[in-house]
Amino acid sequence: MPAKRSRSIASQASAGRLLSCDGLVKSYGDGPPALGGVSFVMEAPQFTVLLGSSGSGKTTLLRAIAGLVPLDQGEIHVTGVALTRANLKTVRRRLGMVHQEFGLTDRLTAAQNVLAGAAPDLSWSRLLFQAYPTPLRQRACSLLAEVGLTEIQANRKARELSGGQRQRVGIARALIGQPQLFLADEPVANLDPQTASGILALLREAVTVHGVGVLCSLHQTDLACQYADRIIGLQGGRLVFDGPPADLSPAATAALFAGAGAAAVPTSTAA
Amino acid sequence: MTEVEELRARKPEAWRLKPAFDARILLLSFLAFCGLALSAHRLELGRLFSDVGSFLLASAGLKDGSSIGDGMSGLVTGMFPIVVDERTPIEYVDDLEVRLVRPFAHLEQVATAETVLDPDTLEIVTRETAKTFLVEPWGYLGLVLLKMLETVEIAIWATLFAIAASLPLSILCARNYSPHILVYAAGRTFVSFLRSVPELISALFLVLAFGFGAIPGIVALAIHSTGFLAKFFAEDIESADVRPQEAIAVTGAGRLAVLRLAVIPQVLPSFTGLSLYILDRNVRMATVIGLVGAGGIGQELKGRFDMFQYDRVGTLLLVIFLTVLLLDFLAARIRRVLI
Ligand SMILES: Nc1ncnc2c1ncn2[C@@H]1O[C@H](COP(=O)(O)OP(=O)(O)O)[C@@H](O)[C@H]1O
Ligand SMILES: [Mg+2]
Repeated sequence: MPAKRSRSIASQASAGRLLSCDGLVKSYGDGPPALGGVSFVMEAPQFTVLLGSSGSGKTTLLRAIAGLVPLDQGEIHVTGVALTRANLKTVRRRLGMVHQEFGLTDRLTAAQNVLAGAAPDLSWSRLLFQAYPTPLRQRACSLLAEVGLTEIQANRKARELSGGQRQRVGIARALIGQPQLFLADEPVANLDPQTASGILALLREAVTVHGVGVLCSLHQTDLACQYADRIIGLQGGRLVFDGPPADLSPAATAALFAGAGAAAVPTSTAA
Repeated sequence: MTEVEELRARKPEAWRLKPAFDARILLLSFLAFCGLALSAHRLELGRLFSDVGSFLLASAGLKDGSSIGDGMSGLVTGMFPIVVDERTPIEYVDDLEVRLVRPFAHLEQVATAETVLDPDTLEIVTRETAKTFLVEPWGYLGLVLLKMLETVEIAIWATLFAIAASLPLSILCARNYSPHILVYAAGRTFVSFLRSVPELISALFLVLAFGFGAIPGIVALAIHSTGFLAKFFAEDIESADVRPQEAIAVTGAGRLAVLRLAVIPQVLPSFTGLSLYILDRNVRMATVIGLVGAGGIGQELKGRFDMFQYDRVGTLLLVIFLTVLLLDFLAARIRRVLI
């Protein structure tokens, strides 16, 4: 099994690329690897969907890119900067993350949650008293309006908002730091289909309006085909499909969602 | 066949379910029973039951006299009626002009008959002398209320100092925010130590260091409360939802920013609840540590108790009881507003 590939290929040209993952391997304890050598590259800001069944390693991959999961092997570069302990903050400033369970601070208002996304640019004393500069506050408000919240909702506590509204706040919070790459882990898993479409449309807008690359994990093939520019199929921690939605044949879909634990179909698909 | 396979092969009718009580629990219960029996024997707990029994019999009129009844009757009869006024012979009052103009204060002349030996005639005669008292009808109650206020103030200051000290300490003692595992271990040990010092004992020594009054009381209560609050604040920080924390961390923010924006707002209600509990507890403890001279109403109570002035003790106990009741009610309201 080609768990590890020649490292020089990706490193050479990682500069100028939005994201490059090279031979990522991760095991939890002594179970089977959650990531068994994943490599791919995102060149331009696109809506890229990570498609796979539950347990295929989507969350692990996205968390690894955010520096939340230490890898056993492999290298990650974000806009040419290697993800290392020393570079962690530099890399993270170029990232925004949107979570399945929204990850909002429930007791802060929607606006305060959005402003919290700008924390790395603010002094400690400003953060302590949550005294944000006026231009930043205005930016937060316009982002909230852009994702579809009203002034009244902006001043509601996050826990008083509906699931869809919370996810909108989550997107606004990720946008305020002006990231280059969005990581979204099943952002619509907890939402009804209609709300889900609205959220995915917003993430598409992040690509088209703000020029942010989006790497979004999903387990619904129909949604992936509807919104994605490119689909990366994961199964059992391996990359088993990579291409535009049009190339995802019913057979490939069936293979992608074949019984969990079944050996991945050996493919030579890679970036 | 392995054990697992054997288990799988068994028919549902033949499944063995865990018993609600197993041999281990029965053995432990037996050991606990033996230990308690031994301890009861050592502490003469039998006497507790015989004393209470004879007291109940005596109260019902089936028996005359019981050791509890005899011990308490002097106290209880001495306590009523309680004292609310203050009568002082004017020769003991230095600031008579000031105290006389206060509301309700007045002078009272009391004629007393005195039997004395006349030095000239060498006869025993009864002489009428008039003694003047300064009477302040609400004087003692006022003093007690002032002492109670002092006790509440001691509790408030102790709680404020404890909150201020335990906020930074709790960060050092929270596994996920402690700068180093050694700092974490040292912090936890220190906090356990603070919590293990009983207020009454530390107050005893602090009275030697600071002298009688409110200060040793405040320090003694603050030490113990810091230990308590830091431990529970730290546990709240550790168990706070990690998802918002990760979301802020992934923007590239530092640990303190994450703490401020994703932890503190979430744990604030619990912090408030714990602080209110400690305030409530400190009011009660401040009364107790007054007994060893650490200020407030307890100090007054101990003094009167030692002088057998049980009527004044009655006033003091009533005021303490009503205050604790009132604070309980207030704390419940504050909690409802804040949380
Ligand atoms: N914290 C963890 N500890 C142990 N095993 C984990 C942990 N997180 C994920 N796994 C395992 O790693 C595999 C991939 O999980 P995950 O990345 O969550 O997949 P997905 O997000 O696609 O459902 C699964 O088999 C899962 O059981
Ligand atoms: Mg997942």
